[in-house]
Amino acid sequence: MNGSIQPTLLVSAALFALGAIGFLTRRNLILMILSAEMMLHGVALSMVTFSKYHGNNEGQVFTIFILTVAACEAGLALALILSLYHRTKSLDMDLWSALREDDMPSPVDHDSTAGHALPNTHPVQPTLTPAGIPLDPKTPLNPQRLTREEDATHV
Amino acid sequence: MSWIQHNWALLLPLVLGACGVWLMMPGAKSIRPLGGLACLGALILGFQLVAGERNISGSMFVLFSTACLVSAVLMITSRNPVYAALWFAVVTLSVCGLFLLQSAPFLAAASIIVYAGAVIVTFLFVIMLAQQSGTSSYDQSSRQPFCASVTAFTLLGLLLITFQSWSHQQVRSANHDKQSAAAMAALDMTVAAPTDHFHRSSRPLPTEELGQLRGLGRSLFTDFLFAVEIGGTLLLIASIGAIALAPRRAQGTL
Repeated sequence: MNGSIQPTLLVSAALFALGAIGFLTRRNLILMILSAEMMLHGVALSMVTFSKYHGNNEGQVFTIFILTVAACEAGLALALILSLYHRTKSLDMDLWSALREDDMPSPVDHDSTAGHALPNTHPVQPTLTPAGIPLDPKTPLNPQRLTREEDATHV
Repeated sequence: MSWIQHNWALLLPLVLGACGVWLMMPGAKSIRPLGGLACLGALILGFQLVAGERNISGSMFVLFSTACLVSAVLMITSRNPVYAALWFAVVTLSVCGLFLLQSAPFLAAASIIVYAGAVIVTFLFVIMLAQQSGTSSYDQSSRQPFCASVTAFTLLGLLLITFQSWSHQQVRSANHDKQSAAAMAALDMTVAAPTDHFHRSSRPLPTEELGQLRGLGRSLFTDFLFAVEIGGTLLLIASIGAIALAPRRAQGTL
């Protein structure tokens, strides 16, 4: 035990890292949520280890709260996934990549996919204004609406 | 450079694990058997980092943590989401075994009930409702697997270095301690001297064991009463939100 890592902490850190890889790389919505749950498992395991290390029940109480939050997260995530699936008829996360900022590159890795010809079935999504780019004060914030008002004044 | 030479035992399993997970990720460049071999090697080398105890609890720890990490890698790399959900159930069961080894029997039971009983089943329901045709094209590829592996294993390496320096500090402070009995207790990592920055009723009574349901409930409903109330409110709000978010039957449920 001379300066070596507490073994359960090593397992919990590895679980957290593997869950992070799954959350970042998988394209299936459900697998992303499952990977997030695995990260929560890692945190809970380290909490229980600290609780044993200090001989105190507080870490285990925190783990009960982690369980509560994980249950809430699972319920909300499944409702969200169902409503997203209702729009696109697909669990693919990359169909929602139109929601990214305008100056970001596409997250889809086109060269590595074999059969990546999914039809983009969803309607036109709202786009975000790019952050960090100062707006020209002469250009209106919402040009469509202003032109409509101009039209109204012209009529 | 000397730092790398000094810490190669920590860095080698990290690099091997990152390469293995990258090779196992779904995509055109994946070589699954080679990645699996690299992951196994990283696991075996990683177990050299920790102090092995040759007794029943040490072998149980090796069993549960091996099952946990292997099924975690298989979960994030599996092509079929149904298999991924089942591997996640194995991860949950082995984490519950580790909870038992860390003297948290109530948490082990609660996690099995909540995760393996409820969460996995609802996820499987959604997978089967939404993906009746088995595997699909978006499960055969992944987003930036190399960058994600490098990032996550860098994070893991930083965590392990932190833990290592932390346990070095523990050993050093224990050596500086004049009372050798207290030093031995701190080294044993089971008994710590009661300090003032913990809540009083979270400490188990002398007649109780750590993690016993009685002490856990006392701590939960005295020190953390407001947090329990907030947790209950959170569950209520989450259920209301889930009902509001889910598509209506008039819109066609699925």
